Amino acid sequence: MSRLRVLSAVLAALACVLTLPGAASATVYAQIEGTGSTWSELIVQQWISDVDANGMKVVYTGGGSSKGRKDFSQDSTDFAISEIPYQGVDEQGNADTSNGREFAYLPIVAGGTAFTYQLKIGNDLVRNLRLSGETLSRIFTNQITNWDDPAITRDNNGRKFPSLPITPVVRSDGSGTTAQFTTWMDKMYPSIWRPYFGRSGLTSYYPRKGRMIGQAGSDQVMNTIAGFAGNGTIGYVEYSYPVNKDYPVVKVLNKAGYFVEPTQYNVAVALTRARINQDKSSQLYLTQILDGVYSNPDPRAYPISSYSYMIIPTGADDPRMTTAKRQTLADFMYYSLCAGQTKAGPYGYSPLPLNLVQAGFDQIAKLKKADPDVDLTDRDVTQCNNPTFDGKHLDQNKLAAIAPQPAACDKLGEGPCGTETGNNQPSTDDNSGGTTGGTTGGSTGSTGGGGGGSVGQAPGSTDPGATTIDPVTGAVVGAPDGTTTSAGAIYANPTELVSSRPADTNTFGLLAVLELIALILLPGLYVAALGRRRNANRLGGR
Amino acid sequence: MTTLHAPDAPLEVRPRKISRKATGADAIFEHASRAVGASVLVITGGVGLFLAWQAYPTLQRYGFGFFTETQWQPETDTLGIAAVLLGTVEVAMVAMTIAFPLALLTALYISEYAPAAIRSTLVSLVDLMAAVPSIVYGLWGFFLIMPHAAEFALWLQKHFGWIPIFQVHADPDAAVWDASRYIASAFCAGIAVAMMVLPMSCAVMRQVFSQTPAGEKEAALALGSTRWGMIRAVVLPFGRGGIIGGTMLGLGRALGETIAVVLIVSPAFEIKPRILEVGTVTVSSLIAGRFGEASTAQLSALLAAGFVLFVITLIVNTVAAIIVNRSRSGAGTDA
Repeated sequence: MSRLRVLSAVLAALACVLTLPGAASATVYAQIEGTGSTWSELIVQQWISDVDANGMKVVYTGGGSSKGRKDFSQDSTDFAISEIPYQGVDEQGNADTSNGREFAYLPIVAGGTAFTYQLKIGNDLVRNLRLSGETLSRIFTNQITNWDDPAITRDNNGRKFPSLPITPVVRSDGSGTTAQFTTWMDKMYPSIWRPYFGRSGLTSYYPRKGRMIGQAGSDQVMNTIAGFAGNGTIGYVEYSYPVNKDYPVVKVLNKAGYFVEPTQYNVAVALTRARINQDKSSQLYLTQILDGVYSNPDPRAYPISSYSYMIIPTGADDPRMTTAKRQTLADFMYYSLCAGQTKAGPYGYSPLPLNLVQAGFDQIAKLKKADPDVDLTDRDVTQCNNPTFDGKHLDQNKLAAIAPQPAACDKLGEGPCGTETGNNQPSTDDNSGGTTGGTTGGSTGSTGGGGGGSVGQAPGSTDPGATTIDPVTGAVVGAPDGTTTSAGAIYANPTELVSSRPADTNTFGLLAVLELIALILLPGLYVAALGRRRNANRLGGR
Repeated sequence: MTTLHAPDAPLEVRPRKISRKATGADAIFEHASRAVGASVLVITGGVGLFLAWQAYPTLQRYGFGFFTETQWQPETDTLGIAAVLLGTVEVAMVAMTIAFPLALLTALYISEYAPAAIRSTLVSLVDLMAAVPSIVYGLWGFFLIMPHAAEFALWLQKHFGWIPIFQVHADPDAAVWDASRYIASAFCAGIAVAMMVLPMSCAVMRQVFSQTPAGEKEAALALGSTRWGMIRAVVLPFGRGGIIGGTMLGLGRALGETIAVVLIVSPAFEIKPRILEVGTVTVSSLIAGRFGEASTAQLSALLAAGFVLFVITLIVNTVAAIIVNRSRSGAGTDA
């Protein structure tokens, strides 16, 4: 009898010990719902499926930042995700505010707005296009309309592309990606952007003109570019979309004169110059001031880097919130800001740096302020398993420190590199680490991020495409010249393009029509013939 | 032999009084069906009233210019539905051009030619087409049909480019085919929409065809007519009302088809009669694309466009009803 009691006491103690650290496991969760950005949707959906095992039910649907902000202001969601803050008043005098609902901005994930494209030479996809910011701005304002434009040739160090019209693909819905892209153009190339836009400032609705194609949502933009008619198209989406689809992205020229790809490293380095609105009384508290990012002088910085916010309700008497919902939101965001950030790199995003994570913790604390029953114990930055910092050295950005230096062939006037883009691999000569100047600590062994990997690919030695034979001309393209620069690049042969067409499309058009008709009619005719034969047999048998 | 009429029948001038009031189960049925019928009127009228009420501020603000302006730019305060209406009509016309012959021939085949063994299967297959969600048709159109539709559009442009609607502002003989000019067009969207309106039109036509009096069909065959001759002389005239009604019903749906169109078209706010060229927009795709992020004033403008579409659809259906009423099914066979 007493043994049983001892046993039960031990068991009880054990249960107590087991449950103590995970006090959250005793908490009650309730489903929370949000809408907004498609820019950050891929990583948010990943987080949602990660926390699902812990009993947290989160529902997130994209639809664009504008929709997210509006749904939040109408009390129809528990949170929103947007790339830009509430704009106050839009041009028509309509309100773009939270409609009196108390809220706070919470940074969730960083990333680069990538320019993905489909450009074929013969039947080969160009995978290492380089463009300067000015060229990009002129492409998206219809000033550069052909791929053989001298400005594009110059950006690619004399490498010519076929004479093919450029078709920019832009967003047709209200989009934070558009807002980020136009902010960058407005800040960096006002003389190109403002005459086209007709006024200054950013817009969430891209002013589509001329050849441009408009598509709703990041995935439809990506589908259109990767689609069969995508040859010659270029569009802007978050880097994760081309990475997901294994599509190339443009290497954009940065202030230091290097063409860089928006990998997690390059974005992390660029964002070290992001200023954050630290005025806690301001409505725009914690929103991003990216002027320093655009002109970051580090050779590894990707200029069009930014981050995305969650808009969370902080009012004590918020009409939708309950203790359980606040707890879900707090725990979901704790996971996202810490362990969840390890997923950011492999997905084509970049983990948030320490200062933003800390600021995010402050914002989560507002949930407890609104409702004292919310449990925020054990929510400490030093325990945070975020790949940009470890708990001991909170003053340095681990990811920016290990970010590899760009390859020499990525420099303006050099190259172009033969390495492919859009595969989440940094382009670098830095194979062993330590050879790079500037920032130290090139410990290429552990990235924390995982999939990204920091093992650089030395183009000259590892590129299998060094002696590619052009399928059209039979000539060796990108002849290896012993340097580490031009291997494997696909070079244009503007005069040979007719030969890339299989045959006279006229004949094939007719054939296609005949085929279509045959496809529809033949089965029916066959069945009819069968029936007739059977009838004939039956009649004959009689 | 007794005559049918009693000799004193002419004296009975006053007919027997028949109660007009239904009783019992009849009364319940009558009232129930009247209530259900009336609710359709009330709901449709309610939708119309709601749209009109919502549209009023916009129509008041922009006046007649709302119908002539092509641009839809709420941020610069220029709003108009000229381009949107044209796009709606274009997509619907393309859809009906494809769907009408398909629906008519399918209905004829099912009702006249198909062996009895597969008839019911075919009927349920056509009904199944109506049950496929429109987003599926949209994805099917985007990924599977659009590449081929674009090739076909190029072929059309090459051979019929002299017809204004088949023009495309791109060189059909360019070294590299400018494929991006031939996608996301009214033509591509129309194909997907055609597949959606087909089952509706087909079902109506088939119903009417199957009611053709068997005696008249047999009479035609007995007079030495071929199967097709019988169809031409008996089935088609008898079913004329059904053909028109089914087509109009399909047109009504084609005008309002939404999600598939949103997925396929690239919005372009210009008067564009060139149906093969990239870019068009319809009222319903405009509403679906913009309402999520619309402010109150913009929502009113979108619903104003919806109201115009509602009125147009109402007119189309009313005209259809009048035509169907006039050409009573079977009228043609009475002669």
